[in-house]
Amino acid sequence: MNKLLLGVLAAVAPLWAETIVIQNANVMTVTQGTFKGSIVIRDGKIVEAGEKVTVPEGATRIDAANQYVIPGIIDCHSHIAIDGGVNEGSVSVSSMVNIRDVLDPEDIAIYRALAGGVTTANILHGSANPIGGCTLPIKLRWGKDAQGLIFEGATPGIKFALGENPKSAGNPQGGRGATTTVQARYPATRMGVEDVIREAFNEAKAYKAEWDEYDAKVARGETSLIPPRKDLRLEPLKEVLEGKRYVHAHCYRADEILMLLRVADDYGFKIRTLQHVLEGYKVADEIAAHGAGASTFSDWWSYKVEAFDAIPYNTAMMVKKGIVVSVNSDDAELMRHLNTEAAKAMKYGGLTENQALSLVTINPAKQLGIDNRVGSIEPGKDADLVIYDKDPMSDYAKVQKVLIDGSVYFDRDTDISQRAAKAAEKQQLIEKEKQSQPRQGGRGAGRGGQGGQAQ
Amino acid sequence: MTRKLITGLLFVCASAGAQSSPAVAIVNAKIVRVSGPALARGTVVVRNGLIEAVGENVAVPADAWVVAGEGLTVYPGLIDPLSTVGIEGAPNAAATAGRGGRGAATPATPAAPAAAPAAAVERARGPEDRPSTTSWLLAADELQPTDRRIETVRSAGYTTTATFPTRGIFAGQGSLIDLSSGEKAGDMVVVTALGQYISLSRGGGFGGGFPSALMGMIAYVRQIYLDAAHYQLVKDAYAKDPRGMERPAYDRALEGVLASKRILFPANRLVEIDRMLRFAAELKQPVVIYGGRETYRPEAVEVLKKAGAPVLVSMRWPEAPRDPNPEDTDSLRVLEQRDKAPGAPALLEKAGVHFALYTDGLEQPRDIQRAVKKAIDAGLSREDAVRALTLSPAEIYGVADRMGSIDKGKIANLLVTKGEIFDDRTSIQMIFVDGRKYTPATDSTGGGRGMTTNPPGGIQ
Amino acid sequence: MKLAVILLACAAAAGAASGESILIHNADVYPVVGAPMKGVSVLIQDGKIADIGAKIVAGKGVRVVEAKGLRVYPGMLDSGTELGLSEISAVRVTVDTGELGEFMPQLKAIVAVNPDSEHFGVVRVNGITSVMTFPSSGGGGGGGGGRFGGGERQMISGEAALIHTDGWTWEDMEINRSAAMHLIFPAIAGRGGRGGGNPDFGPQLISTTAGGTYTQARRTYEEQIAKLTDFFDDARKYQKARAANLPGFVRDLKFEAMLPVLDRKVPVAVSASRPSAIHDAIAFAEKQNIRIVVLQPHELGSAAAELKARNIPVILGRVLALPETEDSPYDEAFTLPLEAYKAGVKFAFGTFDNEFVRNLPYQAATAVAFGLPYDEALKAITINPAEIWGAGDKIGSVEKGKLADLMVTDGDPLEIQTQVKHLYIRGKEVPLTNKQTRLYEKYSSRQ
Repeated sequence: MNKLLLGVLAAVAPLWAETIVIQNANVMTVTQGTFKGSIVIRDGKIVEAGEKVTVPEGATRIDAANQYVIPGIIDCHSHIAIDGGVNEGSVSVSSMVNIRDVLDPEDIAIYRALAGGVTTANILHGSANPIGGCTLPIKLRWGKDAQGLIFEGATPGIKFALGENPKSAGNPQGGRGATTTVQARYPATRMGVEDVIREAFNEAKAYKAEWDEYDAKVARGETSLIPPRKDLRLEPLKEVLEGKRYVHAHCYRADEILMLLRVADDYGFKIRTLQHVLEGYKVADEIAAHGAGASTFSDWWSYKVEAFDAIPYNTAMMVKKGIVVSVNSDDAELMRHLNTEAAKAMKYGGLTENQALSLVTINPAKQLGIDNRVGSIEPGKDADLVIYDKDPMSDYAKVQKVLIDGSVYFDRDTDISQRAAKAAEKQQLIEKEKQSQPRQGGRGAGRGGQGGQAQ
Repeated sequence: MTRKLITGLLFVCASAGAQSSPAVAIVNAKIVRVSGPALARGTVVVRNGLIEAVGENVAVPADAWVVAGEGLTVYPGLIDPLSTVGIEGAPNAAATAGRGGRGAATPATPAAPAAAPAAAVERARGPEDRPSTTSWLLAADELQPTDRRIETVRSAGYTTTATFPTRGIFAGQGSLIDLSSGEKAGDMVVVTALGQYISLSRGGGFGGGFPSALMGMIAYVRQIYLDAAHYQLVKDAYAKDPRGMERPAYDRALEGVLASKRILFPANRLVEIDRMLRFAAELKQPVVIYGGRETYRPEAVEVLKKAGAPVLVSMRWPEAPRDPNPEDTDSLRVLEQRDKAPGAPALLEKAGVHFALYTDGLEQPRDIQRAVKKAIDAGLSREDAVRALTLSPAEIYGVADRMGSIDKGKIANLLVTKGEIFDDRTSIQMIFVDGRKYTPATDSTGGGRGMTTNPPGGIQ
Repeated sequence: MKLAVILLACAAAAGAASGESILIHNADVYPVVGAPMKGVSVLIQDGKIADIGAKIVAGKGVRVVEAKGLRVYPGMLDSGTELGLSEISAVRVTVDTGELGEFMPQLKAIVAVNPDSEHFGVVRVNGITSVMTFPSSGGGGGGGGGRFGGGERQMISGEAALIHTDGWTWEDMEINRSAAMHLIFPAIAGRGGRGGGNPDFGPQLISTTAGGTYTQARRTYEEQIAKLTDFFDDARKYQKARAANLPGFVRDLKFEAMLPVLDRKVPVAVSASRPSAIHDAIAFAEKQNIRIVVLQPHELGSAAAELKARNIPVILGRVLALPETEDSPYDEAFTLPLEAYKAGVKFAFGTFDNEFVRNLPYQAATAVAFGLPYDEALKAITINPAEIWGAGDKIGSVEKGKLADLMVTDGDPLEIQTQVKHLYIRGKEVPLTNKQTRLYEKYSSRQ
């Protein structure tokens, strides 16, 4: 990574231990109303937020006059910061793999998302398998190592996927994600997708029973026991059955959504979030009854058959049915303006500003079980904050500063002011390299397209 | 015809030499012992493949054939801690680390041979199918003394190489071999099992299927170690009392893993180094990191130091792409890699991280000399460079008691140069492997192309 | 000549499409070409804007639409779509872009426009009244429909059409069937590359990575340019032979289609992403004496001055895009419109997609957030593209005599929360319903 970014972090690092006050801001707390006032931060936590706060002696002041502060944005569906492939698509059940193993803290997408106000992201395995890999939420602590990204104490997850992606991945005639395969990979239909999930949980139940029996024996004090074989594929499913791991299920159509809810009911586990869930509005009652959250796109549609009935009102309709709904990105670019993605639910379906803002803050926090830490501006919560120059529900708003745990991880002014130095550093390295390779001229006849032919 | 005859003669002499050859004494030479201060003017006596004596005032045995060492420098023979030399058909750059990833200027994907997958190879459905695994292989069993690369790298000063099978994820164990030109492979072997070579890439004709992504490979390695531990447990219980117990099935993949006393993990970027060190700690396996491109970064040095893990640094320094699109500039990250990678050894040395340099497929004496020179130009002292190519690799593999320095009783692997090693004008005069003298076929600093086609230099 | 006649005929037909007279009463009118007028009325007659003023009285048979507190803008124009040609992008049989064949100027996007495509209804509710729809071709070496693979590299993929987003037939929808000839200019692949771009609009990338070197790629590039030049030369020869009209002359449909291009009547829309590619495209255009419009540049750099000097317009998009390289500023794409504006280059916006055409105004708004003057952003989705695509006299502003392509909103149309309250295309009020509102209604009533 380049020195300059490290430099930024080094420069802000001392802030962590001290007290910071963001003053004169329009504070949108999400859970406790919006007011013009201040936020006091100490040791990475919010200690006070209100119209009038007591400013501690020696506090660092950030003047946010005419600016807006919201809780850090949480993206419930992202594939950034992953090394070496997002999908282990070779098998129908790839629960043995774990995103945690391949986090890449130097993926530039982290910084870019940060510059779009995202402070926490649910990093998911791809959607090539009915049961995919293990997942986890991270904080976008750019500059930290892989361990430093991990959202401490958050319940890990597992990715499921229904519909077109898992049924066509690995099948010669299925276009998307198809690889050169020796033989077609089961399943190739939605029926098969259901079966794969049932078969896996059938196995997982037997596996769990085997372990429960062993654990009971150990608890009774029996000795010289040989434990059952630890199976990394079934272990996460056992955790799902025990409620220790959240299921995040990629789905589109109403039928498959309902199917999964029923499979979960049968095996006695919960679907934590339905991801994309573009036809969620058709089965909103059933989703609400199961208690699943819904993490959807604002207005994606028609890029494939199962997205043809997608409607931008989906978000608002599900909210009105009492479902905890979030709006996610699934995309490194879209991730940079989730605030306005959320605002689309005001246009389509008439959510209030606070309801819309909840879609990318407190709601995804609830879905990920981290709402005790993040998702709103409240005393005791992590000081993960975004400062905008304008109302963040407007297209015209730009992120000015982003704090995570009370440290500034993005500052637009700093970013801009360092561009020239970065360019110069780069140029210097290029020149140095040129000089060290004096004999490498003459190759590469092209002139960089500077007037190759037609004069 | 003539060539065959000579080779035959050489062999006769060689086998005789290994038994009870007369002693050789290099007198009045500068001796770089590595284990201690260099001797400005000293004598090394070699007998029966071992160093019989070394010192400033060593008596020359009466029967010794004397080499006048004035103007010559004697070094311990170089040790390549990771190569495929001696395993014919193995890819040259097999030991390239990692899966590349962003910022890899030269593609870091191990050179997978274009072997057609056997029709019988089934698509792996999970770890239970033990995909891409030949963990039971021992390089010593695969040795081909006829590999022409033996002579090539020896001409560059290498007397010893840690050669590894490199295909698949669990490729098998490497062996330490002396680069003698014998006919019996067994005579070359110094240590049969050095550790398990693990790569995080597929290929090698193993067919498709699981695993396909990096996370799949990591999960697979993890499952194998869990299975190995369980397998051991069951086997032990069965050995203790088989009555009433289901007989455990033999699993050679797990046997191979259990037999490995250390693992070699690929890691080039800082992120990879951090990741693989943590992973090795989780597996509770002694680890050697190979690749090490970004070890110039202070954070990388930090994590290596903290883990106490040695690192094998590839001497294939990242280079600017040839014939690039002039409109493209590489990213700052990549430019920095190219600028700073050769400086890594000096930084590692300074920080006290245990490291050695490996050829990573470089074979030609001139290329190797240039690569070392780059590290020296970037701050590595000449002494430390020699150490990183001799005693350090010996220490990493726990064989410093028999090689890596010029000490009495160690194997007589020596390199005799005219001039300081790694200088442009230096020439390698002779090489001793197991006490047998070889001369480089041509002036090893002169480019050395075509060397592999020359007959090996005979013993005198 | 003949073409011009057809065009006129079509325009006339379009103009006569709606008989209703409507008075949008007491609105704030934002004509784009002039200062906003508060509290005025707009009279629509015969599909056209008949009058704008504070004192217009609704005559007999004129329907009055009360618009107090609402705003009137010209309908928006997206300069980069496949609308009407592609329904579900992942399903080949629903996609009619990307024909086979290397030089296919005789293809016309307009004849394959499906007026009942669900996409039209979806984009209309956000105020988009016209679009450029491109015959396209796969970039990335795909040819024959990019993401579907197969086929050969395409260089000329046919005529892009400027159409209304409403009409009974494609003839009905036409504004300018020959708005541009779509040329896929060859380009050498570079490192980096923007995520999320639609390959259908991108250049044909000649790979430098797949074992080849830059020198080889450059040679291939020059060969392709030579081939393209040959095609234009052949078209010129044909033009000459045609004029001579000697016995034995045989009509050739490919070359016939090239005639308006050679005569500078139809501009060539050229995909070019980097300054060097833009430079090469300009050089080619000068040599061939053709008019060009540059599509989807990702970087202007030194080419900005060249574009300005030659009055070559560009279609920018997408604004909401990732930076080209790891080291590029995070807001590189957001600030490109400002760069174009500062350089004095005439530009319009295109979404270069089908699924997100309705978000055209939000792309423009992002450019404003990052420095582009608001008025310029609005022009870039109204009057600028209308002029660029040869319809500046018909659409793109609220002016007397123009077609009544109007949107009536409750606020700034670039803001997400703003609702379109009424939409008029050629003077006809278009219901603000579509597949999505129907599903909304249907499932809102689920008990």
